[in-house]
Amino acid sequence: MKRVMKWIAAASLFISGAAQAEPVTLDIWTIDRPDQYMYLLKDEFEQSHPDIKLNIKTVQFRDMVNDLARATATGESPDVTYIDNPEVALFASRGLLLDLSPMLAESKVIKKDDIFPGPLSSVTWDGKIYGIPRGANTIALYYNADMFKAKGLDPDNPPKTWDELYAAAKKLNDPAKNIYGLAFSAVATEEGTFQFLPWLQMAGGDYNKVDTEGGIKVLDFWGKLLDEKLASPDTLIRSQFDSTGTFNAGNAAMAISGPWELPRMGREAKFDYRAALLPIPQEGATRASALGEGDNVILAKSEHPKEAFILLEFLYSKMPDVWNRFGFVPAANVKSNDPKTPAIYAVFEESMKYARNRGPHPEWPKISKAIYTAIQSSLTHQSDAKTALGTAQKQIDAVLNK
Amino acid sequence: MQGIIRTIRDGSGFDILLLGLALLYLIIFSAFPIIYNIIMSLQTVDMFTLTSFNRPFVGLQNYYDIFSQPVARTIFWNTVKFVVLSIVFQLSIGFGLALFFQQDFPGASYLRGLFLAGWIMPALVVGAIWKWLFAGDFGVINYVLTSLGIADDRIFWLSDPNVALYAVIIANIWLGIPFNMILLSVGLASIPRDVYEAAELDGAGAFERFRSITLPLMRAQLGAVISLGVIFTLQQFDLIAALTQGGPADSSNVAQYWSWQFSFQTYEISLGSAVSVLMIIFVIVVAAVYVRSTRHEHSY
Repeated sequence: MKRVMKWIAAASLFISGAAQAEPVTLDIWTIDRPDQYMYLLKDEFEQSHPDIKLNIKTVQFRDMVNDLARATATGESPDVTYIDNPEVALFASRGLLLDLSPMLAESKVIKKDDIFPGPLSSVTWDGKIYGIPRGANTIALYYNADMFKAKGLDPDNPPKTWDELYAAAKKLNDPAKNIYGLAFSAVATEEGTFQFLPWLQMAGGDYNKVDTEGGIKVLDFWGKLLDEKLASPDTLIRSQFDSTGTFNAGNAAMAISGPWELPRMGREAKFDYRAALLPIPQEGATRASALGEGDNVILAKSEHPKEAFILLEFLYSKMPDVWNRFGFVPAANVKSNDPKTPAIYAVFEESMKYARNRGPHPEWPKISKAIYTAIQSSLTHQSDAKTALGTAQKQIDAVLNK
Repeated sequence: MQGIIRTIRDGSGFDILLLGLALLYLIIFSAFPIIYNIIMSLQTVDMFTLTSFNRPFVGLQNYYDIFSQPVARTIFWNTVKFVVLSIVFQLSIGFGLALFFQQDFPGASYLRGLFLAGWIMPALVVGAIWKWLFAGDFGVINYVLTSLGIADDRIFWLSDPNVALYAVIIANIWLGIPFNMILLSVGLASIPRDVYEAAELDGAGAFERFRSITLPLMRAQLGAVISLGVIFTLQQFDLIAALTQGGPADSSNVAQYWSWQFSFQTYEISLGSAVSVLMIIFVIVVAAVYVRSTRHEHSY
């Protein structure tokens, strides 16, 4: 027994001795696959920073919040991780993330003022900054210019208002050829809320105030699209990616979705596809757009906050390349290096200026659930828009006033 | 020491050892999680307090919260429909197929074996395939129905709130039939041939033989299949996740999926636990029936 103890002592001495000479290793959690963001940047970072090694672990997007919460409870959390925008507040409000404000004030790489207001608000909680956006995305209106021409619509003049959108959808709709006017997603998940919020914000309202005239107007408009079969009834159960799939296949003439669709669209869509800003309720109305993507954050318990922040700076410095390499829209005011599909890029870049964060609120999933439940019960005619939004408002108030 | 080894090798110690192992297993893998779950359903639990017992005790508040949810009624009746319809059709079709393959025709046993293919496939895969079949705009089922002239217009199986639950039930029935058939086939095979021959000599018709020989002698198997069916149906999660995710507007939502939504979508883990405790109570009742019916089995 004694001999074993001796061995262990010797071994641990050896390991700790070796560790001093070895570079710092940061544990990283990400949702990326090995051909995406963090993995692609790992080698570049390790080459330019030989004293820091990255140990990357992939966590499924839907498991991230749960796994991270459990890891922080058991003390096995990583140094740096990805967190989806609306979930930052949950972790920040519990003091689990490192306040980056002091380091940010001295940073030569990241200028806080360069970050767009939407992405900045997603990493801000109680006046402090807890993460750096790795990029952003938002939604816009994709349209099939060939179909526009075939139906006598001007492809250089896509719908700008809801009325124009409705008129175009009606004209493009062609049940005999299995073509719907518009594809979007009203699915009962976070995605449904994500698609709905910008419409609500343009018409007057926000996540904390949904029972507005504007809210009713949106749901009635969406309801009209579904009832008249200008959009597929499956809009209720399709994710954005599945909906846009029907656009790529030529079974919908327009689609509302984000830049993450572009790689697949480039492969599958055999027509002239273009993008336009999300239509507004009427001329002169305020614009709004959704804000997606996530942030790189440092856990409060990290033993290497300095090295972790160096990594965050490095990742942020890649912002001019995120469009071409990863399909994100830059979350800060930087000039993209020779962007692919420049016309579509320009639309998303402008859209980004109107992108508003969801929340922030530590109990965002409950608010989101109230919203997508209202959308679904109104679109299935289980209750009218006013009642559905009233119910949602009560649930939201209960969360906000806690 | 010698004495202990001897009693374990060929004395009462061996019985105690076996019993102890089984009990230990049950305590670690069944009793502990169930009790932990019951405790969680009486506390306020979120993801961050999952690992500590020191959480605010709220008594039956979680149960009250569940029942005061506006969708609670819908989900209760959906669950009842889901379980009852699934079992009735799984059992009757499974029983019918079992009787069919009991007949002596070439290849009967091979074909019966092939039926198991559906049961072997993971429910998530089955769900993905049914999703293609059911798809509203380009689904196979709609194509068949409209080209045969059975339906005038497409049926939106998964997005029409009046239909979605039944679509999930149909897929679940399909998934459960092979299991029912195999278990019932085993039961049928164990009924002695001479009983039927004697009945036939006495002039009993096919229906009469089924009613007064097959059914009574299959009682134990039927009881077992029904109770296992209830348990499996209440466990059915993957299929719902793959097909409708409980939607649209909770029209195809059932208790087990609801419980998951609480725990992992809105992180109200104590509410999710409360739903599952209610389900456990129901399953225990069903399990008691099952145990009774298997006890009956030993008596003949």
